[in-house]
Amino acid sequence: MTNPVIECQNVWHIYGGSVTAVQDVSLKIYPGEIIGIIGQNGSGKTTLVKHFNGLLKPTKGKVLVNGRDTGPMRVQELSASVGYVFQNPNHQLFARTVEAELEFGPRNLGLPEDEVIDRREKAIEFFGLEPLRHSHPYRIGFPLRKLVGMASVYTMRPAVFILDEPTTGQDNVTTRIVYRLIHRLRDEGSTVLCVAHDMILLAEVVERMVVMRDSLLIADARPREVFSDRALMGSTHLLPPQITELTLRLKEQGKLPQVSLSVSESLDVFAPLFGGKSEGGQA
Amino acid sequence: MRGVVIPISMVPGNSVIHRISPLPKLLLAGCVLVLSFSTRNPAILGALIVLGMVMVSVANIWKPFLRVMAILFPILLTLITLQSIAPAFPRPWTPIVSMGPFTIYQEGIYSGVTMVERATSMTIFALAAIMTTHPSDLFASLQKIGMPYVLNFILTMTLQLIPILQKEFTTVLSAQKSRGLKGTGFAAVLPSMVPVFVGAIERVQQLSISLESRAFGSSGAKTSYRSVKVSWVDYLLMLLTTFGTCGLLYWIITDPSLDWSRTLIFAPWLAITLFTLATIGFLIFVIIAIRVVLRA
Amino acid sequence: MSGEKPILEIKDLTFTYAGAETPALKNINLQIFEGEYVALLGLNGSGKTTLQLCINAVIPHMIMGDMEGSVTVQDLDTAEYPTRELAKIVGVVFDNPEFQLSQMSVAEEIALGLENLGVAVEEMNPIIHEVLDIVGLSGLGDRSPFELSGGQQQRLSIAAALAMRPQILVMDEPTSNVDPIGKEEVFAVAAKLNRERKMTVIMAEHEVEVMAAYANRIIVMDHGEVILNGTPTEVFSQLDVLEKAGLRVPQVTEMAYRLEHDRSAHWNSVYPVTTEEAFQRIAPLFGGKHD
Repeated sequence: MTNPVIECQNVWHIYGGSVTAVQDVSLKIYPGEIIGIIGQNGSGKTTLVKHFNGLLKPTKGKVLVNGRDTGPMRVQELSASVGYVFQNPNHQLFARTVEAELEFGPRNLGLPEDEVIDRREKAIEFFGLEPLRHSHPYRIGFPLRKLVGMASVYTMRPAVFILDEPTTGQDNVTTRIVYRLIHRLRDEGSTVLCVAHDMILLAEVVERMVVMRDSLLIADARPREVFSDRALMGSTHLLPPQITELTLRLKEQGKLPQVSLSVSESLDVFAPLFGGKSEGGQA
Repeated sequence: MRGVVIPISMVPGNSVIHRISPLPKLLLAGCVLVLSFSTRNPAILGALIVLGMVMVSVANIWKPFLRVMAILFPILLTLITLQSIAPAFPRPWTPIVSMGPFTIYQEGIYSGVTMVERATSMTIFALAAIMTTHPSDLFASLQKIGMPYVLNFILTMTLQLIPILQKEFTTVLSAQKSRGLKGTGFAAVLPSMVPVFVGAIERVQQLSISLESRAFGSSGAKTSYRSVKVSWVDYLLMLLTTFGTCGLLYWIITDPSLDWSRTLIFAPWLAITLFTLATIGFLIFVIIAIRVVLRA
Repeated sequence: MSGEKPILEIKDLTFTYAGAETPALKNINLQIFEGEYVALLGLNGSGKTTLQLCINAVIPHMIMGDMEGSVTVQDLDTAEYPTRELAKIVGVVFDNPEFQLSQMSVAEEIALGLENLGVAVEEMNPIIHEVLDIVGLSGLGDRSPFELSGGQQQRLSIAAALAMRPQILVMDEPTSNVDPIGKEEVFAVAAKLNRERKMTVIMAEHEVEVMAAYANRIIVMDHGEVILNGTPTEVFSQLDVLEKAGLRVPQVTEMAYRLEHDRSAHWNSVYPVTTEEAFQRIAPLFGGKHD
């Protein structure tokens, strides 16, 4: 059994001595997982993930990253292991060119110049930023600027990526790019945590969902289970994607054994009803 | 992000001072300002400070008040240090004691102490007025006494923007630390400030379109939703304040015996103690400030 | 609708931002009628925001550029009437809730527009109460706008616009910065205004599923041009055109389309755009159990 890359042991976080934002959360995250962390604003999900890279320290309990207690560790130290991509790229970008932006992280890590350049080039290739390498980050449209924000953390080569609402403000094209990138990050061996409201991301990309409500971790399960639990979804005000909702209604009437999480999945289920081919193939 | 507070803002309460309309409070703060600048008599200034403290007590705003003073007072103390050795006072100066290259002068200590008193008395009354008045009422009052609409609006906006920018700065700093920023020194200035400024500019541009969409620039007559009710009690208070101030002013101007600069003699031990305490107080403050900034 | 007079008419509109090489809007012709709920779809940079800024005359009065053609709102030519004079006809809500607010309290935020119009102070409170009630923020009049949640802030922006009694509400991705519960709230308020008060709503939005449920007209923009314009069913059925423009269609529409095209299935009716429509079509096909 591999060791968890992040482990929370009965973590509590209380702001200002009175406002409890996270209550007694225990959680193990393993290398290579793609996890969605969901919940309303104020549910404690952002507070929780800020513990993973040391931006916050638990009031009670422990957070271990690669087996080490984050208690005495500084954010700067942890930044090499856990990368945090903020929701709004404008909070992260400041340099005059995309290239300089990408070099900022590795330079902070004190890496030698050729390694810095190497990582920059890898990021440009990985995120498809070649045409933008000399552009000013603020002159790039918001969706691509957000990719630059992700890339600027990618150059730190963290084992864990925390993506805060990676698809908010994206359009369909860039959203699809983000989905692909998440899979590619995992293929390179990274763990990806998405703090997200994007239901299609959660249904089609994420493999495990952690649900927070009122500072408590109320569910930790596979998307299919979470999306099948109407009470759970309702209590967090999350609307499932149309296909999931449709198949859930059919499942509730006993017509389907399980919900579908994507359009492709549903085709196999529905095609026979319309005299079509149940297996995917050339039409 | 929690815990972001601007120290100078209204402290909710229901004291007599809170209930008085902002106009008498503003008038009183203004009168104290005039009085403080018209006299250097330590006793009169001291009396004003005591009066101010009574107001702070009645309003029950000691805690937030002291939080502001904790920052302001040590800075004021430099006045004593600097004035002691280089008085802003007509010569001749009377030396009290020499410490190495510095000579502490009688007029310097006098000048330093009264300047601190002056600044303190003005601050107390201004803070007491601000901390017991809802900002809306404050601006309504300013408008009532003739501040132009646009200027008033800009002031409101600025006051709103301060906590927002503080919050932004916290977020940006977190974002940059997550990219390994060391968080201190000159190297941290650009990465942490540029995003805040760019965001602020974007905010202002968007806001101007938004305001225009709500007819902000229209040339017709404007009305004002905010209004201050002024009762007869308030008028009475304003009348009393005005008369009191005029009376005091008359006394200050006509009675030459109030100038104690040559009669209030500081014993050498007292002068040295004041000088040393002021200097140490200021240095401790600087050290604490640097440590707080470095830790952020 | 042919005999009716449009509340908004755009004729041969082309606009190029100062310093830009290509126009942001190319030869747009549109008529929008009172009481319509129009969804604007398109990628970032397709011209949605530019088009919306033309409706309340921010273009050409506040943003410089080269404008050809005309935009007429309630018989007023936007070339002649600046934004502030159209405030009584067109209310606007932008994507970032915080960037639209400036006042010390919710009530003052709403009063701001009324002050600018010179509305008598006695008339303000009833109006403030009324619009707060419409958007579901009653009782929050004394709160600071900056203490509200994102959804509440957007509803406050709607209320501030409503106070000026506009007939058209233009909303530019009003939910892109709020959480799911806030999204629900904002969509619900817009739908209520449209249904109960015949408010004309023009909303740019990425959430096609929601627009399929609420809008009665969808306008699709691509590279500054209107490429599709029709009912949700008409527009979303053109899945190939939308995909070429980089856009999604509702999942159930895609499902039906792909069943027909990839699986040789016989859908045999119009494509559904809402879950309910899809459910009605599919549920009866399962034999046996019904409840």
